[in-house]
Amino acid sequence: MAPDQTNLLQGTLDMMILKALALEQMHGLGISRRIEQITRATFQVKPGSLFPALHRMEEEGWLVSSWGESENKRRAKYYKLTNAGRRQLEAETKRWGRIALAITRTLEAS
Amino acid sequence: MAFTRLASLLRNLLHKRREERELDEEVRAHEQLLADEKISSGMSPQEAHRQAHLELGGVEQVKEQVRETRAGHLLETLWQDVRFGLRMLRKSPGFTAVAVLTLALGIGANTAIFSLVNALLLKSLPYGHPERMGTIYARFTGPNGSDELAGIDGEMWELLRDNVPSLVSAVSGGTSGVNLRAGSQVEYVQNGRVSAHYFDVLALQPILGRNISEEEDRPHGPKAVVLSYGLWRNVFGEDQSILGRTILLKNEPYTVIGVLPQGATTPLNASVYTPLQPSREGEGSGTNFQLITRLREGAGWQQADAEINHAWTILALRLEKNAPGAHVTYHSVPLQKGQTDSLRPQALALMLSAAFILLIACANLASLTLVRMFRRTPEVATRVALGASAWQIQRQFWVENLLLALVGGAAGVGVGFLALQGLLLQLPEHFLPVANVPLDGRVLGFTLVVSVLTSVLFGMLPALAAWKSDLRSSIADRTVTRVGSPGLRQALIAGEVGLTIVLLAASGLLIRSLIHLETLPPGFNPNGILVAKASLDDAHYHDPAAFRKLLDESTAAMREIPGVLNSAVGLSLPYESTLNDGVTFSDGKEAGQQAGTDVVYVTPGYFDTLQIGLLVGRVFTNADGPNAQHVAVVNQAFARKFYGGTNPVGRYINRDTVIVGEVTDVPISSNLYPVAPLMAEQTMYIPAAQVNAGYLGLVHVWFQPDWVIRTPGPIAGLPDEMQRALGSADPSLPVSGFYSMKDLMARTLVMQRIEVALLGSMAALALLLSTVGVCGLVANMVAQRTREIGIRMALGSSVSQAMLEVGRTAFGASMLGVVLGLAVSAGALRVMRSVLYGVGVYDASTLATVALMLVFVALVATILPTLKIAKIDPAQTLREE
Repeated sequence: MAPDQTNLLQGTLDMMILKALALEQMHGLGISRRIEQITRATFQVKPGSLFPALHRMEEEGWLVSSWGESENKRRAKYYKLTNAGRRQLEAETKRWGRIALAITRTLEAS
Repeated sequence: MAFTRLASLLRNLLHKRREERELDEEVRAHEQLLADEKISSGMSPQEAHRQAHLELGGVEQVKEQVRETRAGHLLETLWQDVRFGLRMLRKSPGFTAVAVLTLALGIGANTAIFSLVNALLLKSLPYGHPERMGTIYARFTGPNGSDELAGIDGEMWELLRDNVPSLVSAVSGGTSGVNLRAGSQVEYVQNGRVSAHYFDVLALQPILGRNISEEEDRPHGPKAVVLSYGLWRNVFGEDQSILGRTILLKNEPYTVIGVLPQGATTPLNASVYTPLQPSREGEGSGTNFQLITRLREGAGWQQADAEINHAWTILALRLEKNAPGAHVTYHSVPLQKGQTDSLRPQALALMLSAAFILLIACANLASLTLVRMFRRTPEVATRVALGASAWQIQRQFWVENLLLALVGGAAGVGVGFLALQGLLLQLPEHFLPVANVPLDGRVLGFTLVVSVLTSVLFGMLPALAAWKSDLRSSIADRTVTRVGSPGLRQALIAGEVGLTIVLLAASGLLIRSLIHLETLPPGFNPNGILVAKASLDDAHYHDPAAFRKLLDESTAAMREIPGVLNSAVGLSLPYESTLNDGVTFSDGKEAGQQAGTDVVYVTPGYFDTLQIGLLVGRVFTNADGPNAQHVAVVNQAFARKFYGGTNPVGRYINRDTVIVGEVTDVPISSNLYPVAPLMAEQTMYIPAAQVNAGYLGLVHVWFQPDWVIRTPGPIAGLPDEMQRALGSADPSLPVSGFYSMKDLMARTLVMQRIEVALLGSMAALALLLSTVGVCGLVANMVAQRTREIGIRMALGSSVSQAMLEVGRTAFGASMLGVVLGLAVSAGALRVMRSVLYGVGVYDASTLATVALMLVFVALVATILPTLKIAKIDPAQTLREE
C-alpha cells in the first residue's frame, strides 16, 4: 500500500470532512479534493470511504444535504455543516490537540 | 443524537425507495464530476469516463458500502433473511408441514398440561394477600412418619379458635345440596356451611349486609344465610331490600344477612352459605371440618405455629399415647399447598409425560432438520463459493428455525387450547379447586420459551454440528451421496421409541387398573336400575314418622309405575361413598370391643331391588318397624373381619341390635380405610324405619338418599314417572339427578378415567410421533441411496434384499429403543405403585403387549417407505450416473 493512501481512522476522516465543510457547503468530490489540497495529497479519500462517512454523519445530524448545481452546471448533492456539526468539529479538534500533544511528548521522552 | 438516528431509521425504513434513488443519483453524479474533471485536464472523454469509473470502484459497491453504514441495516438484512426463509419453507411444504405439526402436537400437549399446573400450583389464590393464608398439617415423626393435612374435629376447632391469637381462623363443613324456597320459587342449590370469620379469612366483604356473626355461629344460634352474587341475581333479581328477608332452606326459615360481591369465589363454591355452628357433638365428634387460616397483621407464621402447638398439646399427647414412639407437631402450610397436595403428584406426572412428548418431538425435529441441511449442502456450497460468510449462512438457518418455532408455537397454543377445553369438559363440576384454568401470560410465555428452545436447541444445534464437519467434503460433490451421520439419527430414533414405550407402559397399567375396578364382581345386578337422588336435609324430615311416611308412600307409588318390578330407598348405593360409624360388639369374645364400619339405612325392598345376594338368615321386612326389635344385616366382609367368618346371625351389637342376615359384598367408595377407589368393606345395613331423629338430622346433611327402581329393560319417560311418584308423596321435593348404576360408578372412578384419558392420549401422541420419526428416517435413507440401490440392483441384487438392507438400520434402531424403553420402564414405573389397583408394576402381559405393539408399528413404519424401492429403475439410475 502506498504511503499516501494511509488508512484513515474513522474519527480522523470525520474530523477532516467537518473541517473541509467549515467554510462553505460542498459536494462529495469537492470535499475529497479539498482534503487532498489541505493535506498536500497525504490523504486521498476514496468514494468507498467518503460516501458511507457522509451518510453516517448526516444520520448523526452533523451535516445536512441538498441538491444543487456544480460550477460546470452538473446536478450534485451538496453537504453543509449544522450547528451540531460545528460543535462536533470543536470537540474533535480539542481531542485531536490532546492526542497530538500526548504523542509528541511520548516521542520526545527518552 | 439518538433521536436523529431513530429518525433516520424510520426514514430509511419508510422511504426506502426514495433514499435508494437519491443514493444512486448521488454516486452517478460523483462519477460524472470525476469524468468532467479529467476531461478539463485534457483527457479524451472516453478515457476520462473509464478512469472515473475505475477511481470510483463501481457504483454498486459504493452504494452497498453506504447502505451498510445506514441505520436499520441489520433489520433490513434480517427482513431479507425472513423473506428468504419463508420462501424456503414454502418451497419444501412436506418438511414444513411435518415440522410444524410435530411442534404443534408437542407444544400443544405441554401448553395444555402447563395451563393446569399453572392454575393449580403456580397462580396465586384469588383472595387478598394469599401469602398470608394457610391451613395446618400434622407431622408425625417416628416409625410411621407422615406429614399431612390435620383432620379437624370440634374440640380441635374450639381450642384453636380460642387460643391462637396470631391467626384469624375459620372452618367449613363442606357443601351439600339443599332445597331453597323463596315465595313460590323452589331451587335446588349448593349450601356451604361455614363458621364465623370464614369470609374474613378469605378477605371477602359482602356488597350488601354483613358476614356471619359469632352469635349466629353458636350451636342453636339464629339461622342466617349469606347469598352468592349469582343466586341473588338469578333468584332475587338483585333485590336491594333482600336483607332481613326470610327464605326457606331445608324447610326452615333463614334470615338473609348478606350478599357476596360479584365474581367472589370460595373454596366451597356454593350458592348460599349458612352458619356451621360447630361444636364437640354430632358432626364435631369426628374430624369433619376443613380449616382455613389467615395471619393477623403484625404476626408471623412461627409465632402462630408455636401457639397452635401449645393449644393442641393435649391432642398431640393423646395421639402419641396411641402410637408409641411417635412425636406429633403441627405446622402451618400455605393454603394453596394444602388444597392442591392431593393433585400435585398427578400434575407432576402429567408434566413429565408432556416433557417426554416434547423430547420425542425434538428428536423428530432434529432428525428432520439434519436431513434438510444435507439436502441443502449444494445450495450452501454455492453460496459459500459466491462469497457468503459463515455467519451469513448460519444466520439464515437460525432465522428459518426461529420462523418454524414461532409458527409451530402458535399452532401449539391453538392445539393446547383445544385440548384443554376438551379436558375441562370431561371433568365433573367442582373437581378442580380453582374456578378456571386460564391461558394467561405465564402460559404463553412458557409456550414461547419451549417452542424457541425446542427448535433452536434440538432442531438446530445437532444438525449444525453434524453439518459443519461435512460441508467441506460435500462442496466438491454436486450431489449428496452419504446418509448424514446415520449414527446420530439412529440414536434419536432409539431414544424416542424408548420414551414411547415408557408412556405406553404407564398408560397400559392405568388402563388395566381401570378395567380391574370397573369389572369388580358387583355382588348385585347393576342392569335395569334407575336411581333418583333427592335431598332430605329438611327440618320436616328430622321427624322419624314423617321420614317413614315419605319412604313408604314414595316407594309404593314407584312400584305402581307400569313396568317397574321393585323399588326401594337407601342412604347410599354400591359404587357410592358411605357413611362411617362406630359399632360396639355386645356378645361373645368380642364383647365390649369397638370398631369402624360403613352404615347404610335401607327400606325392606333394597336387597331385592338391587338383587344383592342373601347368604344366611333373612333381609328386612315391614315388620322391622320403629317399635320392634332393632335388627341389622351385615355383609361378608363384616362377618369375616369381626367374627372370623363364622355365622353372624343372632349376634348382638350396639347393646340391643341383633344381626338377622348376611349378604354378599358390593364395591363401594370407602372413606373408612380406603386402599382402592372401589372396594368391598365391612358394611352394616339397618332398617330405615328404625333410624332415630338425631341420626336423621345429621346424616342427611352429608348424604342424599337414593330412590332405586328396577325395570326389566329401558322404558321411555321413566325419570318423569319417578319424579311424579316422589311428588305424590311430597310435592316440594325436587330430584337433584337421575343416574344409572354405570353413572354412579363413573362418578366414583372419575379420577381414574381422567388419568387414563390423559396418559392414554399422551401415549398415543408419542406413538404417532415416533411412527412419523421412523417413517421419516427410512424414507430419507431410501431417497438418499436411490443411486446406490439402483447400481446394486443392476448388479443383480433383488428388491427384497435392497429393502432389507435399507430397513435394517431403522428397524434395528427401533428395537434398541424397545429394549431401552423396557429397561427404563422397569425402574421408572415403580412410582406408579400407589395409583395401580389389581395389577402389579411389573405386569408381564402389559409390557409384552406394549413391546409387541411397538415392534409391529416399527415394522410397518419401516416397510411402508421401503416399498418405494420396488419402483427404482436400475437402467434410469445408471443413465443419470
